[in-house]
Amino acid sequence: MNYQKLGFKCGVECHQQLEGKKLFCSCPAIIKDDKPDFIVRRKLRASAGEKGAVDIAAKYEQKIGKEFIYNIYKDCTCLVELDDEPPHEVNKDALKIALQISMLLNARINDKIQFMRKVVIDGSNTSAFQRTALIAMDGYIETSKGRVNIPTICLEEEAAKIVEKTDVQVVYNLSRLGIPLLEIATDASIKDPEHAKEVSEKIGMILRSVDGIKRGLGTIRQDVNVSIENGTRVELKGFQELKSIPKVIQGEIDRQLKLIQKGEKLKSEVRNAKPDGTSEFLRPMPGAERMYPETDIPTIDITPEMMSKILEREINFDKFLIKGLDNNFVAKVLIDIPKEIKSRLNLDSSKLKDSDFLLVLNEISKGAPRQAAIDMLADIIKDGKLNVKKYKGVSDKELESDIKGIIAKNKGASINALVGEIMKKYHGKVEGKKVVDLIKKLS
Amino acid sequence: MPEKLKEGDLIEVSVDSKVLRGILMPSTKSALVLKLENGYNIGIETRKIKNIKLLKQPEKKGKVLEKLDLDKNLKNVLILHTGGTVASRVDYKTGGVSAKFEPEELIELFPELKKIVNIKSKLLFNIFSEDMNFSHYKKMARAVYDNSDKFDGIIITHGTDTLGYTACALAFMLENLHIPVILVGAQRSSDRGSSDAFLNLFCAASFIAKVDFVGVGICMHDLSSDDNCVILPACKTRKLHTSRRDAFRVVNGNIIAKVSKAGDILELAKIPDKTGKLTLKDKLEDKVGILRLYPNISTKQINQFKSYKGIVIEGTGLGHINKESINAVKNLINSGLIVIMTSQCIFGRVNMNVYSRGRELLNIGVISAGDMLTETVYIKLAWLLANYSKKEAKELITKNLRNELSERSVYEEKFIEF
Repeated sequence: MNYQKLGFKCGVECHQQLEGKKLFCSCPAIIKDDKPDFIVRRKLRASAGEKGAVDIAAKYEQKIGKEFIYNIYKDCTCLVELDDEPPHEVNKDALKIALQISMLLNARINDKIQFMRKVVIDGSNTSAFQRTALIAMDGYIETSKGRVNIPTICLEEEAAKIVEKTDVQVVYNLSRLGIPLLEIATDASIKDPEHAKEVSEKIGMILRSVDGIKRGLGTIRQDVNVSIENGTRVELKGFQELKSIPKVIQGEIDRQLKLIQKGEKLKSEVRNAKPDGTSEFLRPMPGAERMYPETDIPTIDITPEMMSKILEREINFDKFLIKGLDNNFVAKVLIDIPKEIKSRLNLDSSKLKDSDFLLVLNEISKGAPRQAAIDMLADIIKDGKLNVKKYKGVSDKELESDIKGIIAKNKGASINALVGEIMKKYHGKVEGKKVVDLIKKLS
Repeated sequence: MPEKLKEGDLIEVSVDSKVLRGILMPSTKSALVLKLENGYNIGIETRKIKNIKLLKQPEKKGKVLEKLDLDKNLKNVLILHTGGTVASRVDYKTGGVSAKFEPEELIELFPELKKIVNIKSKLLFNIFSEDMNFSHYKKMARAVYDNSDKFDGIIITHGTDTLGYTACALAFMLENLHIPVILVGAQRSSDRGSSDAFLNLFCAASFIAKVDFVGVGICMHDLSSDDNCVILPACKTRKLHTSRRDAFRVVNGNIIAKVSKAGDILELAKIPDKTGKLTLKDKLEDKVGILRLYPNISTKQINQFKSYKGIVIEGTGLGHINKESINAVKNLINSGLIVIMTSQCIFGRVNMNVYSRGRELLNIGVISAGDMLTETVYIKLAWLLANYSKKEAKELITKNLRNELSERSVYEEKFIEF
């Protein structure tokens, strides 16, 4: 498919939860899902924004007129989440992480940060708005298909999690509400569905490089905005894994093409990605008139002193983009492995220089096994240098002939026994999976 | 910032190598606030700005408000608007929430009200309730008096901070009130979708529509949930929480009614009978004050009331003050002040016969407030001193005039619910 010809436009929004306390109160940022301690019932109404107009999405929700039921957990929700107390001061740690990420994304940080109320009346926010602030603008990341701009980086409140939904009511888990959330949005310069996945991976990698980021299922979410010529902008959300992004985008392109062919008018809407690569209607696309200032929180000045304390360790990822290595693996080597060396091997990984990481990544790109990365880096810390030969990869040809020989010598032996025999010889130089595949192929 | 620019103008601001486009918001000398096209507001330090270009001035739209048709089968209700969170929105000048509603906008925002009652609305004034004084009570009482024959009921929108004082003042000033006057506040401003203003207004209107109540009441949330509202007695209700929706609770008494979100009356106390002719007694004495006793208090605190006509002492426990203060209080009484004792316990009844200190206070002429709230006694005393002789005032302060004082202390399993 020629995406350029299609008029393909695509941007990604990454939402990342932060660890620690909630954004506007001192409740711990933990999500519970056992039996709630209390239940509170509420109704929400559409209200006019700063410019006096009621948002389309808000009107839609009000028409439904649902009742919202909030599950309350004493130890991680308080009156702030219940909209029964004004927000406390902004969580300084969360703000610091937002500033760190903004710098890593090469963005320009705003002099003054004002939290806004983004109107949301589907009940996921008890206040009927989400508090959000634009922290930085005009960032970018480099990708294999060129630079992708990051026009906005926002710090906001996570919404309450839906538990159950019927025609008349929605039950929400209030423990998730208020967890600090970073929103990183690219512009529409993503080239194709695969590229959207690459961009998401790269942003995820940068996020993981700072401390205080939540890890695990559901702690990072991607929304993808897609449109094609004669079609319309649709927001896709709810991706289970990054792998599914290209397929769901492709599905949306196909859906729009089909509708265009039939001569139907397309509606701008939010759609939920399903595991099978299709998507379903969620709600109409919210309009632009849905924000007004959060007057309970004073404007925050970002001073040079504050900025000078922000960055502890800056990683310039672009330096480490090596052909043949995917972003996730590079991030693992740069971020996760040093942490593991410190905790598991008790070695001082802060001694590692950029050139050391580059050396190891280069060796791996030339054939050294991936799982040797930690040993290689550990060797550098212990010995001050890397014995390249120790981890030198074996050429496929060499390996194949050896395997053939061993199979011939050990007729009737199980695969496991054969693998064991080969790994004895090539320990740390080839990947087990590769050996298994070759044995299956050759025997 | 160039002076010709006005808030609301679409402008282009050049900063460094970047041009930012957006709507000019209220700004300070050191920083310009811009609302970007994506809806976010950002601040830009003015010293960094190279150039500002005006692109477009906002279009002026004349607002057309819906004309209200009257339904002959419905009761006629007047909404008197005084300000506060119940009818507030964002103020661009201060960045804070302030009362800035045209009364009709309330109906435009809450069209459901029209189905229950015929609404007329009038702006009395527009202030925060902490700024209210006796002159405002007089205006409100006068407005109720003037409209009491034209309407079946009156709703007064009011800031919550001092709503209890106002309710009590109106109850005293409007003698033999023959219609319901319900004060309605909100703890979340009505510019937000989660505001409690709507349910409070709706339940107040439903109560007026369905119950032939006479007198002054307050309508607020029963609990944090948007399930029911309660109609609370004017002189026995106190704001007991800074921020919760259900902040208003009855102290030493019971609710008048409970109204559901569907407008049904779930509970109803005995409604007083209509008696006599409405009389406006709207005078209040300014020289009345409140003194809260605390450990280590200086007698100077007490002496400052020398030129007053009466004070309420919010004493400790059953109604006590420290030994060192007795002489100062005695001097006040000897110079002509009426001194009433309430308790800072809030709940319960003053009884100065139990301990010798109490008896000593009774001997020097301190009067027990019984189970009346401090705020209520303050208003009642100001009202009595302005409308009656000192002798009458001293007698009437201990009589129940507006359901502000009860004879019995009724048992409840929990005297306070949460």
